[in-house]
Amino acid sequence: MVARIKKLRTGLLALCCLVSLGLGGELALAESAAPSYNYSYWGNAVAAPSAYEATKLITGASSGAGPFNNPQDIQVTADKQIYVLDSGNNRFVILDQDYKSVKAVDAFQFKGKAEKFNNPQGIYVTQQKEVYVADTGNKRIVHLDSSFKAVGIIEAPKSELLQANFEFQPVRVAVDKADRIYVMSAGVFDGFMEFGADGVFKSFIGANRVHVDAVEYFWKSISTKAQREQMVMYTPTEFTNLDINDEGFLYATNGDDYGDPIKKLNAQGADILRREGYYKPSGDLLYSTRSGGAPRLVDIDVSDSEIYAVLDASRGRVFTYNGDGYLLYIFGGIGNRLGEFNTPVAIEHSGDDILVLDQALGEITVFQTTEYGRTLNSAVRSYYNGDEELASQEFSKVVNLNANMEYAYAGIGKAYLRQGEYKESAEYFERSMDRTNYSKAFLLYRKEVLRGHFSTIMTALIALLALWLGLRMYRKMKARKKVELH
Amino acid sequence: MNREALQHPLYVMVHPFNGYWDLKYERSQKTSLIISFGILFMLILTNVLGDQYSGFLVNMNNPRYLNSLLEAVYVLVPVLFWCVANWSLTTLMDGEGKFVEIFITTCFALLPIVLINFPWIWISNFISAQESSFYYFFKNFAILWSGLLLYVGIMTVHQFSPSKTIGTILLTLLAMAFMAFLTLLFFSLVQQMIAFVSTIYQEIVLRR
Repeated sequence: MVARIKKLRTGLLALCCLVSLGLGGELALAESAAPSYNYSYWGNAVAAPSAYEATKLITGASSGAGPFNNPQDIQVTADKQIYVLDSGNNRFVILDQDYKSVKAVDAFQFKGKAEKFNNPQGIYVTQQKEVYVADTGNKRIVHLDSSFKAVGIIEAPKSELLQANFEFQPVRVAVDKADRIYVMSAGVFDGFMEFGADGVFKSFIGANRVHVDAVEYFWKSISTKAQREQMVMYTPTEFTNLDINDEGFLYATNGDDYGDPIKKLNAQGADILRREGYYKPSGDLLYSTRSGGAPRLVDIDVSDSEIYAVLDASRGRVFTYNGDGYLLYIFGGIGNRLGEFNTPVAIEHSGDDILVLDQALGEITVFQTTEYGRTLNSAVRSYYNGDEELASQEFSKVVNLNANMEYAYAGIGKAYLRQGEYKESAEYFERSMDRTNYSKAFLLYRKEVLRGHFSTIMTALIALLALWLGLRMYRKMKARKKVELH
Repeated sequence: MNREALQHPLYVMVHPFNGYWDLKYERSQKTSLIISFGILFMLILTNVLGDQYSGFLVNMNNPRYLNSLLEAVYVLVPVLFWCVANWSLTTLMDGEGKFVEIFITTCFALLPIVLINFPWIWISNFISAQESSFYYFFKNFAILWSGLLLYVGIMTVHQFSPSKTIGTILLTLLAMAFMAFLTLLFFSLVQQMIAFVSTIYQEIVLRR
């Protein structure tokens, strides 16, 4: 009922707002925020120091591979080799650590025949440096070994799970440690296609849920079959991209406006992404239709310690979250300056650096950490590795660099909690608006205080009780005396 | 104002039938009116204090947007709307209550909320998340109690039967919604008119 009163209150507030503001509403937007910002607990865009800064721009020409034409995907290996899928030129280019071209592959041998790519859209490089290319134009997945000889080719699969008119158009591909191949195929709404190491189609995994509009549902329920056939079909949202982490979990982005645009799928296809942050990980919270509307997440990149970054194509921003779903930092944008993009399509990390591929300009922007970003990353990493002491120190540094980083206060609070400094811990949790942990710390603190002052409290209580009883007896005696006198 | 008059609201709280009867037929209206305003003031005060000083675990307000004047509006406007709507309706439905009586009844019915609010602002600073369910329980309990008091009060003040009271209350809520709609419409129209005049003024000034 309190909630209902709250609702009534918001209603009244809305009434007052409508009355006082009328048509010209004030819009608090992230667009007007500082170039680097973060979302506070209250959902405001708050200025923050930049965690990453663009340092370099790599073009096809600067790498020595010839200009890129409409590149679609990049992949970075553990030894920092960069595989750029140059779709327009039907090839992929390998750059070394210094961003110089090492090799360009545009043809391969398969069963004694020279084959070529046709408008490939996705690339994945395994730890053994085997390359998987989603050769979209040829409707197949090409599996090359580390010397770029074709090992296998996956053509359109045949299965009873697939419809008769199914068309295999692989656009993104990822491979886990057991060589299971996950393929995102255009026009497939049932999730990712999972292939075994031998290239045999197994099943679909992790379909998005259908969002049914109540009004649409009503109209559909009262219409005839003929009418229904004319209507739009409900289909789950398609995924837009995927990545795989060291443990074999799939991280995926989709264009879902209602549900969760970011997902972490386990082997069963269940979403196990942690969403403990102030808001669900989903890119920008505040946006206007003028600047492209809701975020359109087109790529996701998982690095170590469960830190992941997503790329929003509508505003060209990169959002980085930690494993618990707290937003760490935001950078990038649409524009003409270094560090801004035209049509970003892919994001990858290379060590601590982040690379963003721009499709239209055929460029890769290299972002490197600032001191703030380094400290924050290292704090999150040490916390993830269980070193709360070090994490607390790093979080203190983060707070010194950015007092608005609410999440960092929780990190300090946790260290205090571990040390038994409950009061300080509760204070820090309050600053980070972490109510669950605050409650934990506060309970311990309360217990400590009550224990410490138990004798005083009990003495005071008993004294008060005695005083009250004495007063009552005294009054009664007085009343009795009065009665006796009369 | 004697001590008994000040204690009467508490009596109404636990003996609503007798209490409201006394309020209508026995008590001085002037005193009751003063006490009513006192209760309203206390409600505003406890709401303001509650939003500011409630414990962290139960306080979900953004301190940046706390506005004591708005808090007062949130209390006064619903009460006023309620009284006006109820009075307008019951004059048509053979209710015996006068406007003042309706106002006093409504204000007296709000007392449980004030009484629960006050200690809980203080206690909520010493509770944990698990214990916060007590907080919400008592808050809801107070609201239910107030609702019951309001029901009995309206029944007594208009000398209605129980079923007719329920009907009246439902109709009153409808009337309140209607009033809110009319107010909005009115303000919106005024705003449009002002906007229209100011636009014309601007046109004239700029094209001189």
